[in-house]
Amino acid sequence: MIRGLVILLLFQSLGELVSKGLSLPIPGPVAGLVFLLVYILTRKRADADLELVSQGLSQHLGLLFVPAAVGVVIFIPQLADHALAIGLALLVSVALAIGVTAGVLRWSERSRRD
Amino acid sequence: MSCAGVNGPAVTDLQEIWVYLSGSPLFSLVLTLVAYHLGLTAYERSGKSPLANPVAIAILIVVGTLVAVDLPYEKYFEGAQFIHFLLGTATVSLAVPIAKGLSMLQGRIPALLLALTLGGTVSIISAIGIGLLLDVPSALLLPMFAKSVTAPIAMGIVDSTGISPTLTAIYAVTTGILGAIMARYILDGLRIRDWTIRGFAIGVAAHGIGTSRAFSVHPQAGAFSSLGMGIHGILGAVLLPPLLPWLTGWLKALA
Repeated sequence: MIRGLVILLLFQSLGELVSKGLSLPIPGPVAGLVFLLVYILTRKRADADLELVSQGLSQHLGLLFVPAAVGVVIFIPQLADHALAIGLALLVSVALAIGVTAGVLRWSERSRRD
Repeated sequence: MSCAGVNGPAVTDLQEIWVYLSGSPLFSLVLTLVAYHLGLTAYERSGKSPLANPVAIAILIVVGTLVAVDLPYEKYFEGAQFIHFLLGTATVSLAVPIAKGLSMLQGRIPALLLALTLGGTVSIISAIGIGLLLDVPSALLLPMFAKSVTAPIAMGIVDSTGISPTLTAIYAVTTGILGAIMARYILDGLRIRDWTIRGFAIGVAAHGIGTSRAFSVHPQAGAFSSLGMGIHGILGAVLLPPLLPWLTGWLKALA
């Protein structure tokens, strides 16, 4: 487990360094993701320890969002007046995104097969 | 700490302990983890009903507790930032499912990219469009540009643009929760049974929280959901920052 964490943290640091150092518009963790992706793809052999840690993190991503999302308490006064409109915008947009993504994917793969 | 005293020493002691505890990261960490654990338990007990979303339950419990004990958000975040920090690490770790997904794809990449681009674009346009129609002020509307990518990447994107990262995270998380709740009904309605398509669509639209949900339903859906979320995040991080100043100006002129 530690090995997996070390790899992740090293790539996160590398991403931050490159992103800040070259003042790229891409966030550090995303740069780290890309570097790690290249590293995995060039290594060929799967790293069981890295997979274990990554699986744990992605299965409980939801937990990691809680602290930021609780920030809603400081925005309640501002949001209150527009809560319905914002809620509706988010609701419709995510429903459309799911439907369009799935629909387009099914359609394009069907038409390729035919 | 004095234990003797006529005027309610117990209360004073409790208060002192509370002052100490609320100032240490322990309280925020325990609160966040207990709330999430309760959310997960409720989710499992409900037979993994999408309506019992563990993250939504956790957020409600934490918000309710902070209000009840009158602890300001900044204080809470001082402790909870250790959990928050791991978002960056979790973003990096997305490389693992993406690498796995890439090896399973075999010629599906163009179709996936097309679906992702259209899905992501529709998400932004519909959110901004509805917000404009319903007179949402631009300060509350701007965070919607980045909300359809996963929260840590979204917060990174708006960093240094003057758009509130907290509001961006709130929108992103709300999007994730709503998507995780509705996905089953939408996809069943469209009669899409293929786990890879279901997972990919959830990942693109409802990112991290959708992916947690997808993993809990089917491993293949989870893998494709990570893939959708990851590629969407990378594309968003590359495409949005150069567009944001222009989009911001345009929106402020409209609103």
